[in-house]
Amino acid sequence: MNNNLRIALTGNPNSGKTTLFNKLTGSSEQVGNWAGVTVAPVIARMKKRYTDLNIDVLDLPGTYSISPYTPEEAFARKAIIDQTYDVIINVADGANLSRSLFFASQLLEIGKPVVIGLNKADVLAQRGDEVDLDLLSRRLGVTIIPIQASKGLGLNDLVQAAIAASAQVTEAKEALSDEDRRSMIDQLIDQVMIRQHDPLTQTFSDRLDRIFIHPIIGLISFFFIMWGVYAFAIEGLGGWLSDWINETLFGEMAPAVVDRLVENYGLSPILGNFLDQALIGGVGAVLGFIPIIMLLFFLLSLLEDSGYMSRVAVLLDKYFKRIGLSGKSIIPMIVGSGCAVPGVMATRTIENVDQRRMTAMLTPFVPCSAKLPVIALVSVAFFPQSSWVGPSTYVLAIVTIILGGLFLKKVFRNVDESHFIIELPEYRFPSLLQALERMWDQAKAFAYKAGTIIFVMSVLIWILQAFNFSGYTQDATSSFLAFISGRLNWLLIPLGMAGWQLITAVLTGFVAKENVVSTLAVLLAAGNSEALSTGVLSNYFNPITAYSFLLLNLFTPPCVAAIAALKNELKEPKWIWRTLLFQVSVGYLLAMTVSQIGSLIVYGEPLPSWWIAAIVGIIYVVIILYLTRRRPKNA
Amino acid sequence: MFLSTCHNGYIGTITKIHGDDKVKRFLFSLGCAEGDEVALISVLGGNYIVGIKDSRFALDKSLAGKIELSQPGFRRRHRGMRGR
Repeated sequence: MNNNLRIALTGNPNSGKTTLFNKLTGSSEQVGNWAGVTVAPVIARMKKRYTDLNIDVLDLPGTYSISPYTPEEAFARKAIIDQTYDVIINVADGANLSRSLFFASQLLEIGKPVVIGLNKADVLAQRGDEVDLDLLSRRLGVTIIPIQASKGLGLNDLVQAAIAASAQVTEAKEALSDEDRRSMIDQLIDQVMIRQHDPLTQTFSDRLDRIFIHPIIGLISFFFIMWGVYAFAIEGLGGWLSDWINETLFGEMAPAVVDRLVENYGLSPILGNFLDQALIGGVGAVLGFIPIIMLLFFLLSLLEDSGYMSRVAVLLDKYFKRIGLSGKSIIPMIVGSGCAVPGVMATRTIENVDQRRMTAMLTPFVPCSAKLPVIALVSVAFFPQSSWVGPSTYVLAIVTIILGGLFLKKVFRNVDESHFIIELPEYRFPSLLQALERMWDQAKAFAYKAGTIIFVMSVLIWILQAFNFSGYTQDATSSFLAFISGRLNWLLIPLGMAGWQLITAVLTGFVAKENVVSTLAVLLAAGNSEALSTGVLSNYFNPITAYSFLLLNLFTPPCVAAIAALKNELKEPKWIWRTLLFQVSVGYLLAMTVSQIGSLIVYGEPLPSWWIAAIVGIIYVVIILYLTRRRPKNA
Repeated sequence: MFLSTCHNGYIGTITKIHGDDKVKRFLFSLGCAEGDEVALISVLGGNYIVGIKDSRFALDKSLAGKIELSQPGFRRRHRGMRGR
């Protein structure tokens, strides 16, 4: 027998493939209770507790049929046909047997060894339905192992069966026509299944749907649920923990230690300055957000696991249609409020290609967890008495998505012809363990990011601002960095701001958004973000321009990771460039509008640069009018 | 009679699915094809929540308008019986 095996996991969407995958390999890929959580294949080595062999497990996106409808189904199909594996474990959804068997019977014809894991056997039992697995197994000519992936039951048997099956020689069979296949499956189900419950009667899930999909009550509950999630993570417990880390740990304790080292233990002042500025100031300014990020992902994970996301998609479909999107666009946006990368990837479940592109272009406007430090910085420094800054960025994100959608709808023009259909999985109590795992993973990922990208950038920025052509300098304005970033200063003029430090912060923000805060902390020699808020920033901003600077950072393209994800989804270079141009323009225009009009309203006089801004504005108006002009269809 | 004109609780058999092949094929792979029993669970805000086989789906009005159901009284109790 072969010592190296590769097992592919296939099955219908939401049948539990990724749950099984995580159990088999000890991975923690994202799972959720909606169809299409896994959109890209993942591979990992199986844990040794199941077998001594070296087995790689390949988790494929779910598909209903070998004839694909959505891109992620097309991918699964390609992987299945390409056959880069030795044996298939087909995860059949016990709660949805006939549809699972339809797909299973297609798999049995392609000529690869197959084993079926009948998942959610507990749901069948709960309903009082019985399936004669022996008979079914004989009829299909395949081993069937009942499993409960979420609890890890039956997995050993399943793995052994897969290993045994991999040695079999199988041949491709002639494919049945879809109609014949269906009648075959229907007859088979009648023979092997004794039903106690009528699937067409009302269930508890149906009654919950009357609340959550109700056009009025549903909207109100959606608002309160989302508000609850963000308020608790950002303002509530998460905010409280984060404040402690920022103010006490990195604000007082850590700098005090460095001071002691310099004064009493002969630490070089340059090194002390480096520790204070680059490490505590740069990295520390960002690390404080770990509790918020952990809580946010914990709550989002609960939400995703409950089955609620599909309901939101239904609820919002009619509104999203008006701006050229699909109800399914809300899922990437909610996921994107944690991180834009999985958010952009989640657009793949949208069938219509234009709606998918538009959603991918608009999703990064949602403030993600990496943008929270930037929001907090401006909020604390310039609006300490008010609590509207954070929420206002979410409101602005919604407004921007609506306006952006309307604009893109005009540009795309042919998005009207699309149908909306989504499966509504049964609600379930979300797995706390899973949410905790996800939270822990995010914390690790964030700490890793702080230790690598943010740390390296902080160090790099510190070096560039501390040295010039003649060596170490105390005068940052003559440094390398001031020289380089100063070239781009003109970009900020229409926004009513100036300073090479600001340009640097924006640029490093494209690497990772948290860098905006760490860079400002390093450059303004503030030591930490607390000190940043107590004055240094006001040399560069008034409240209006500070808010404008915030928007510039929030609404321009998110970060390299998100841009890479966009590149993956949009594929054609033409669309990537358009997307980047669109996002840069939106961020810049928004910042410019707030600066100019805000100054005029609040301070009663226009900024000196008002006429430059007016020219930029007019150019954009012309471009927008040109792109959205009336044209005959299919021109 | 089309699904879009049915009232809550209506159970009927799909007699025809209108529209292009892509829509038909997709509905088919979800388990929704001619001869299948469909229950209209509820209509909420213009969305049609239906039970087909063991699943629940939400579809919009335009899609519901493409699914033609048998008149009442034609309900077939057993899956697997198809009238051709």
